[in-house]
Parts: sequence; structure tokens; C-alpha cells
Amino acid sequence: MKKILLTLITVLTLVSVKGQNYKFGKISKIELEEKVYPLDSSANAAILFKDRKTYFRYKQNEGFYVYTDIHERIKIYNKEGYDWATKRIRYYAPETGEDEDVHSIDARTYELNNDKIKVYKLKKNEIFKEKLNKFRSVKKFTMPNITDGCIVEWKYKISSPYRSIDKVELQYEIPIKKIQSKITIPEYYKYNRKQLGYSSIDITNETKNGRINLNSKNRTGDKVIKTEYSNEVIEFLENITLIDNEDVPAIVEEDYVDNINNYKSSLSFELASVDMPGAVIKHYSKTWEDVAKAIYQEGHFELELNRSSYFKDDLEIILSKVSSDSEKAIAIFEFVKSKIKWNEYNGITTDEGVRKAYTTGVGNVADINLVLTAMFKKAGLSSNPVLSSTRSNGIPIFPTLNGLNYVLSSVEIDGKLLLFDATEKNAVPNILPKRAMNWEGIVVGEQGYFNKISLTNSQKSEISSTLSIKIGEEGAISGMSRTKYLNYYAMRYRNTYNHLKEEEQISKLEEEKGGIEIGNIRIGAKKDIYKPIDELFTFEAEDAITSAGDRYYIKPLFFNSINENSFKLKNREYPVNFNTKFSKKYISSIEIPEGYEIESVPEDIAIGLPNEFGVYRFKITQSGKSINVLTELSIDTVIYPATYYQQLKDFYKEIVKKNAEQIVLRKILAN
Amino acid sequence: MKFSIKIAMVALLLYSTISYTQDYDFNVNLIPETLKKDANSIVRLDNFFIEVESQDQMTIKVETAVTIYNKLADKYANIRIDYDKRRSYSNVKAYIYNATGKEIKKIKKSEFKDFSAQDGFSLFNDGRLIYYSYTPISYPYTIYYRYEIKTSNTAFIPDWILNGSYYQSIQNAKFEIKYPSGITLNKVEKNFEGSDVLKVEKPGVLSYEIKEILALKSEGYTPSLRKVLPTVQFGINKFSLEGVDGEATNWKDFGIWYYDNLLKNTQELDEGTKQKIRSLTAKVVDPVEKAKIVYEFVQNKVRYISVQVGIGGFKPMLAADVDRLGYGDCKALSNYTKALMDAAGVKSNYTIIYGGRTKRDISNEFLSVQGNHIILNLPTDNGDIWLECTSQKNPFGHLGSFTDDRDVLVVTPEGGKIKHTKIYKSEENYQFTKGSYSLKEGGSIEASLIIESSGTQYDDNLMRNDGESPKELDVLFKKYLSHINNIEFSNIEVLNNKKEGKFIEKLDFTATNYGSKTNSQLLVPINAFNMLNSVPKKIRNRKLPFVISRGYLDVDEVTIKLPNNLKLDYLPKSTELASKYGSYSLTIEKVDESNILFKRKLQIDAGNYPKEDYELYRAFLKKIKRYDNSKMILSI
Repeated sequence: MKKILLTLITVLTLVSVKGQNYKFGKISKIELEEKVYPLDSSANAAILFKDRKTYFRYKQNEGFYVYTDIHERIKIYNKEGYDWATKRIRYYAPETGEDEDVHSIDARTYELNNDKIKVYKLKKNEIFKEKLNKFRSVKKFTMPNITDGCIVEWKYKISSPYRSIDKVELQYEIPIKKIQSKITIPEYYKYNRKQLGYSSIDITNETKNGRINLNSKNRTGDKVIKTEYSNEVIEFLENITLIDNEDVPAIVEEDYVDNINNYKSSLSFELASVDMPGAVIKHYSKTWEDVAKAIYQEGHFELELNRSSYFKDDLEIILSKVSSDSEKAIAIFEFVKSKIKWNEYNGITTDEGVRKAYTTGVGNVADINLVLTAMFKKAGLSSNPVLSSTRSNGIPIFPTLNGLNYVLSSVEIDGKLLLFDATEKNAVPNILPKRAMNWEGIVVGEQGYFNKISLTNSQKSEISSTLSIKIGEEGAISGMSRTKYLNYYAMRYRNTYNHLKEEEQISKLEEEKGGIEIGNIRIGAKKDIYKPIDELFTFEAEDAITSAGDRYYIKPLFFNSINENSFKLKNREYPVNFNTKFSKKYISSIEIPEGYEIESVPEDIAIGLPNEFGVYRFKITQSGKSINVLTELSIDTVIYPATYYQQLKDFYKEIVKKNAEQIVLRKILAN
Repeated sequence: MKFSIKIAMVALLLYSTISYTQDYDFNVNLIPETLKKDANSIVRLDNFFIEVESQDQMTIKVETAVTIYNKLADKYANIRIDYDKRRSYSNVKAYIYNATGKEIKKIKKSEFKDFSAQDGFSLFNDGRLIYYSYTPISYPYTIYYRYEIKTSNTAFIPDWILNGSYYQSIQNAKFEIKYPSGITLNKVEKNFEGSDVLKVEKPGVLSYEIKEILALKSEGYTPSLRKVLPTVQFGINKFSLEGVDGEATNWKDFGIWYYDNLLKNTQELDEGTKQKIRSLTAKVVDPVEKAKIVYEFVQNKVRYISVQVGIGGFKPMLAADVDRLGYGDCKALSNYTKALMDAAGVKSNYTIIYGGRTKRDISNEFLSVQGNHIILNLPTDNGDIWLECTSQKNPFGHLGSFTDDRDVLVVTPEGGKIKHTKIYKSEENYQFTKGSYSLKEGGSIEASLIIESSGTQYDDNLMRNDGESPKELDVLFKKYLSHINNIEFSNIEVLNNKKEGKFIEKLDFTATNYGSKTNSQLLVPINAFNMLNSVPKKIRNRKLPFVISRGYLDVDEVTIKLPNNLKLDYLPKSTELASKYGSYSLTIEKVDESNILFKRKLQIDAGNYPKEDYELYRAFLKKIKRYDNSKMILSI
């Protein structure tokens, strides 16, 4: 009681102090007069208030339905915020089965006109319905008479026969003044809650009593049929999740972030079990062990992984040529890559089954990597599938199947676990495509075996390049470039260039390097993906060096210079994701032209990042007629924390500065 | 009787189609070597047969086979068929063949996905489409498909446009159109010279065939393929649009039909609104001044929202509805503006245009419903003024690169008329940068500049920068000045000066390490604010003509202040360059011991040139790039 009173008082104070009334339709002039959002003047719009209530209601003969009531009030400050006046409500509408129902839409625009509040109501025929795909539809509308400073407000209800609870989103691209949610769940249903985001969320849990009135009609008797009417009351507990947050800042996208949604505040619900009175408890997912079991049973992994007749003959041929475990693994991996092509669909279960994928040569990620795993197993390797989530799908934290959308394969050889993804033609063991490099994967085995492993790229990727330069007339240069690309960089190189004709590749390289013309080019190990790329070309360039008076000014690394600091933001909220640990080694060997001598060269430096996250070295030596420049940038972490952002920015600033410094050659004066 | 004959003919046609597909041999060895050069895919056959059965009935038969050589061309194996209430599809068949021409897959109906034809900007669009995308298991492969479309909208007869894509050659393309005796077919043939189009014209039937078109590379600065490859556009004198019949033999009649059926009765407004407009415009007499007030009123009241339903895809939403809701698409907003202009007593006309950065004309030579966008024409004593009614930001009378320099159809109650929109001269696409920077001993600079742009350069800057958040502007201008590292802005202001048609950007910043040191000297790039950083890529064996589609003029004036205690060792010299593509000059003037005045002028002119000129243009830009990168040298 005390608590309620306190809340009441707070609410009353809020109303009186801020002139805020959160009841639908109770818009104040103060809200309409507001010109900018006080806490963030750059906001184009702000959610003044959002309320969501989700609760269960029992429908006789049908069971529990999930209802969600939404009420949202948005202030639009300027034209860039007009998109917020359009609302899209997506809902489940399968081709077979019951649709979710979006109804009771009431939406209004409020505008201040000559000191009076004008209200425009949305009409029924201004709401459009559209089928998105086999499972989803959308209802959408845009509000009338949107002007700078107006407020839009709507409420609507969704009723659903399905027990899934949509994610409670608690942060948007615009700031939120007040957001509250109340999720009420009968004790029969257990959900896992999954909380994400950098902004803190205030959650309270409560319980209350709920009841169902059942009116039933029973027919009994053998000979004389008797109809009995009864009224039964069932009482139960309801678990309530309450969220009440104020002043949630807008989420702002930054470069080098894997997926900004991972940092957005939200609360997700995943059905874990249903325990109805009088029925056997049904588990959905609760622990990773449950997940592992569920995927083997309901997800048919057991079945798909133990089928082998369809590849038996092929496997025999493959194995006849290799002996060691790692040779076997590679041979099977390459075979599957060439045998089944990825249709660019993700998923943790097979589409039409492994056998079908194998025969048609096309499959989703589960098809392909399950065939791979099945073949590994049959060949006697210790192999299990690995469940994971792609970058765009976000991070799985709680043990749920819903959060997962990708399958990899793993093999343990000599105590080491190797990861394989046969959807990517240019991938090698432990080098995953970018989409799959996301957080952690779950190795799942039979009988509920599971093991979490990191999916960040553990191997260091390398570029090492040597330029040999000759200086010609008027500052023109000619030379040769030889560069090796290793690991992730090699995969990226092959993905970028391998399908191009030589002429196209030259033209692309010329564009990238800026101002050079390539003569001959040779790419070593273009298709031999187990070797580093070995790129070799000759080139010429006009104006590569500055000549003034009797001096030449030479940027020591030419087109391999790091000219721009990518970290331009003053501050940073989220960690920097480099995708891979890496080292970039650039060497220039410059021939001093006849009649010139060195006047000065940049000083050597060696600088580092905190916690040994990275180092940079720059060193120049002279030997005879040649100047040798050796630089190496090494980053030894994939994720770089935002707390050390300033040091990273300064580190790159030094690199750019050093790269811009010039070698000065001077004409030798004739005696 | 007539009816049954038609049925029989259709049946015969169908039968023949079915039988001869069995005879195709898609073995890739049958492709002539010349077609493989520069080709990622080869159109083996492209048959497009149209039969106009009556004024409101048309059947289109499409039959295509494409051999795909690598992943860059996989998109040409996608099948997309649009349909709506008045357009239905049938007889969809699709197969995949391997390199030897053996069928490896029959695509089932269930493998097509059904989508709403979302154009990405409409709130609602009642069009739908079916779509199939193939996952290749090996290259090369060939996709063959055919389908039929039936539609009552004969106002649009599809063009014969070769599947014109870069890196794609065509082995054989056929086009045929049949039409009944009561209907006249008009056509415009373009780019036929120099190509071997086989044309057969008989009463009621017209056909074209072309063989072996070699693949073209994407070379940049080229005319659009539409202006290179043979193409034919069609129109008929008796047509139907969303259930409304029309007939016209000249633009005048066509315009009248269009006005009467699509525009008339959509322009009524309630008396209150009219009254408001009259009182707003009463204070001025000049119709252009009145128009400015109306345009301003519209910009403040409405926003762009597109809803396309049935004839609503062609007919504007009622002006009264726009007035009530405050939104609409290009048709609705142009029509609404026209209604308000009427209320103010200013004459204006609904105008049909092809919008897009690539200029495309409404074909003057024949009649049909064309265009994809609507603007408003304002005839005045001093020539035409054009109004873009979907923008809330554009200055009055500003078109920009989306609608400039092209033929349009102006619709008036008295009929239609072809007119040409504004052509922007190089000097009008103007950017003026005025600023200063002072160099510090350590090589850092303190800079301040104002950039004013107009014409199409106004568009570019408005679109990029207007309304962006401070954080976003910080990123955008660091990108704009990406040749300067370590920028710290102390001030960024952007302003859309609608009245004068200028976009203004004010920047103040400091940057460390702008000059780079050697042990005795400081090298300082003299041109800090506006620099040509890259030259279009080299094209070996260019095939297509060279086109600069729009000109521009950049003028920069920068005062440079040097630190007192450093001695200037070297100052780049003033320079002038001229070519047929434009001109460039640098004027570098030492005002006194510590002040330098730097002026730069770069004008590029629009023009069409033979392919050989591309290299000359590159050479011109390379020189400019070199001068733009000039450095001052000071001794420490």
C-alpha cells in the first residue's frame, strides 16, 4: 500500500511539475511548444512516452492467448524526424494457421495552431495491410498533417494465439523520455529473459494472483445421456516484469562496430517450458544442454548426422588418397565445398535435408555443414556441429534456439579444435567468413554434450609487402611490388579479385593505389587457398615524388602509406572490432638516383598501445645506393575496448604523421 | 467467328512455342568466341512478342535464355514477373542447363517467391511480383525461362530495349508486335545506324531481329546504354489505362484526354483553403511573386508520401485530400500546388517527366503514357519556371540534376505540349570557397572557410549535409577534407539559403601535422580546402564515346598566413591550363613576407566527345591533380 501511495505521489508530482500527462490524448501545450529535446538538441524526434503491456487471457476451448497493448507518443522536432510519423506493425500471419490480429488502432496528430491544440485523427482507410512473406504481414499507416513541432500518438492491440513474446525494445535511434513495460505471465509458462544493451534497464519483478472462470458442459452416462453444466474457477500466480525507464539516450551508429543492435537496450523472452495442470511438463529450452538435446531430437541433427549411404561411395574415393587426420579433414572439406553450393540462406536446421542438398548440389548453411560433419564422422574424425549466430543476427547470450541462425562444423585433431565453414569457397580451417565471426559458438554433440568456443578469428592475419623503386625523370618512378596476404586477408583478397579478369583486377588495383599504372601482374596461389596469396606487379607513376629546386621529397612508403586516420570521432561509446588480429609489414627499397645524395630521412620510431594491444615500428637504413624503409603495424586484439579509444586515435595519428614525413634527396653539387 | 479464329491462332502460337523450345541447344560450345570477350554472361536468345488484341487487351510473351559465366552475372539468372489487378501472368516455365546443354533443373512454381512490389519509398503499392533466384552449382550454366502477361493497360507498350547491361553480349534478340486493323501503331527507332537490325514490317505485324551484339565494359563517362544500343519505343492511337479508354493522334488530343480523365475533377479545394491562399497572395501583384508565396505555403504544409493503388498509380490523389492529410506523392503534390495556384490566379501546368540523374527525354515523336515523375510548369512572360513540388527544401524554381535539361510533356486543359526543362551552364553549378589558414611553426594549421554552392552543386551539398546531426556533420566534413588529418572542428554550420538558392557551409578547425617535417624543412600542401584527389581510372581499349554530362565551376580564394620565424624556401608558381573540357588556373601571390593569396579556378564543361578524348581528359585532370598537390617549402 505504501508503495502504491508512493508511486501515486510520484506520478502526481510528475504531472504537476513537468506538465506531463501520459493518458492517451492528454497532450499538453508545453509538449507541443517544445522546440528541441532538452537532453539532446540534435534529436530530430523523441519518444515522449511508450507503454507496453503484454498479458495472457484464457479463451475457453482454445487456451491462453497473448495480448499486447501499445501506446506511443512521439514528438517531431523537424523535417528529418518526419519518418517517425509512419508506423509499421509487423505481425505473424502464416499461410496455414491462425494469424495474429492487430486491431483497435487509434492514432492522432496534434499540432499547435494559434495557441490552440488541433487534433487530426487517422481514418480506417488510411491504414494499409501488406503481406511480406509466407509468415509475416504488416499493417502500416502514416499520420496526417505532420509539421515541425507536432506530436503523433497511437495505441493499438495485438492478440496472438502463439506463445511467443516479442522483444521489448528499450532504446531507439531517437531519445526516449519515458518508457514503461509490464509483462504479465501465468505461472504455467516459463520464459528465459535476455537483456542486452549498454544503457542500464530498471527491472522489477512482482507476482499477483490470476484466475480463470471455466464454464463447461459435460455429457455423461451410458444409456441415458445427461448434460452437466459446471463452473470451475482456477486460481494461479502471475509473474510480472516491470520496466520503467526515463531519459534513454538515442543509439548512434559508429564505424568498426560489429552490429549496433547488440548495444541497444532490450529485453527478450524465450519460452523455456510449459507446465499446465494435469499435463506433462514440456520443456523447450533452458540450458545449453537442453538446446543440444533439442537440436539433436526436434532439429533432427541425430538423423541427419547419421545418414551416410548417400555419400558412402564418394567418401571412399576421397579417403583412398589421404592418410593423416588433417589430410582427411581437408580433403573432405574441399570436396563438400565443391559439391554443395550455398544458397545464401542461414538457419540451424536443414532446408530439405542433407541427402537432397547433396544430390541437388544446393543447400542452406545447415545442409552444407551437416553434410560436412557427417562425412567427417564417417571418416573416423572426432567431429561435431557448432551452432552460432551471424553478425547481423546479433549475439546469443541465453541458451535459446531462437537466437541462433548458423551452423559450422568442428573437428578435434591432436587435442585442437578446428572450425570449418564449407559455405565459403575461399575459407580454410579456422578462418571463418566475416558473417560467422561473431562472439561464441556452441559445439553440440550427442546426449546433450555442449562446449562454448570463441568464434573471433584467433589467427593473426598478415600482409607483407616489398616495394623496389627507381626514380626517373621529373619525379616519375618505376618499380615492382610484391605482397603476401595470409589467413583472413588472403580469403578477402580471393573473394575480391579471383572472379575478375586480369584487366579488371589491374584497373581495380590502380584505382585503389591511386595514380599508378600497372604493367605486368602475376598472382601466385590464386586458387591454392592453403598458401598465402603472392601478388607481384610492376608499375610506373608520374608525380609520385615532389621535386622542388635541387631536391626530391619522397614519401617513403608510396602507395602503401597510411594516409588517413580512420578513427576520427572525438569519443567512442562502443568497442572497436578489428575482425582479426593483424600485422601489416611494408618495406620500401629506394634506389638513390645518380647525382643525388641523402639530405635527410625521417627518424625511426617504435610506439605501442596499452596492454600490448598493438605496436608500430618505422625504421630507415641506408646501404650503398639504396635506402631501405621497414615498417610494421601489429594489432594483437580483435576487440579493442572503448576505454582506450584516445590512445588508439593517437597511435594512428602518429602513424599517419610518420608516413607523411619525407626523405629528402639533394643534387650533389659539381665541384 | 472472329473470336474463334483468334483462339485458334493463339493456340497455334502456343503450340509452336512449346515445340520449338525442345529444339534449343544451350551447349556453350555453340557460342561464337567473339561474344565471350568481356562477357560475364551471354543472352542466348531474347524473344519478346507483343500482341495487342484490342484497345484494352494485350498479351506479352517473353522467352529468354542467358548463359552465365561467373558470379558477377548471377543476377541475370533472376526471374522477376510483375503483376497486379490488371496484369496477370501465366505459363511460367523455367529450366537450368549445364555447360553441355543438358537440363539439370526444372524450376517449380513453388520455388518462386511472391512479394509486394515495394519500390522502397511507397507507403503502399498494390503491385506484386513473383521472383526466383537460382543458386548455381557450377559455371557456366544457362537459364531458360518463358512466361506470358495479359494486361488491359495498353497505354504502355513496352519498348524494345535490348537487355542492355555491361559485360553482357547478345547472341540473338527478336521482337514482334501484332496489332489489329483498327489501331495505328506509332514508333521511334533509335541507334539503328551501324547495327544490323533485321526489320520486317507488314500490315498488323512489325518485327525486329538482331544478332551478335558484343559485350561492352563499364568504362565510366559514357552515354547511357539506352543511347547506344538499338531501341524502339511504341505507342498506339487507341489505348486503355486502368479501365479508361483513350484515343489521340497528336500531343494536343493526348493532352486533352489525359487532362479530362486523370486530372479534371481532382483539383477542387474547399472555400476556406482558397480564401486563405487568396488573402496570402493578395499583397502582391506579380504572378511570379504570388507563385512564390503559394510554393512556400505548400512546402510548409505537405510532405512526400507515396501511395500507389490502381488508377491512383496514374491519377493524382484529390487536392482536397492532400489539403486534409498534408501529404502525397509527386502527382498529388504537383496537382495540389496547381489547384492552389489556380486559387491565387496563377497559371500553372501539370508536367510529366523522366526523373533521374541520367537525363531522359519524353519521346516527342510519338504518343504514349511516358515518364516516371511529375513537376509543375509555370509559364511566364520571361520563359518557363519549373517547380519540384515534392521537396520541402528546394528554392523556388530550382530543379537540379534530377529533372534538368530534358524534354517533358506539359498537360493543359487545351492539350499537351512538349517543352524542355532548364539547362544548367557550368557557371551556374557554382561553388565558391573563401577562407584562410594560418600555419604554425610545428606544421599545424588554424583554418576557417565558407563554402557557397548553387545549381547542381547546391543539390549535392543539400542532400549530403542539410539536417544532419552535429556528430554526423563532423564525420561528413572530415570526409570532405579527408586529405587533412587530425581535424578538430570548433564550428560547423550549414545553412540552406532558399531565397537565394545557395547552400552555405561554414567551417572552423585546427589540424595538427598539416605540414610535414624533414630535419630542416617544413613541406606544406598549399591547397588546403578543395583538391582534386583522384583521376578517373585508365581504360584500356575504350569502346564507348566519352561524355561529361554536367559541367561545374569551382572558385577558391584562400589567404595563407605563414609563421614569422620560418623562411619561405619555395613557393609553387601560378599556372593556367586550358583544354576543350574546361580550364584551370592557380594564382599564387606573395602579398608580403608572411601572407600569401591563393586563388584556384576549375571549370569543367559538359560535352560529348569521341572515345579517344577520354585519355586526353585524364591527362588534363592528372595535370590539375599535380598542381593541386603543390607544396610550399619553408626552412625551420
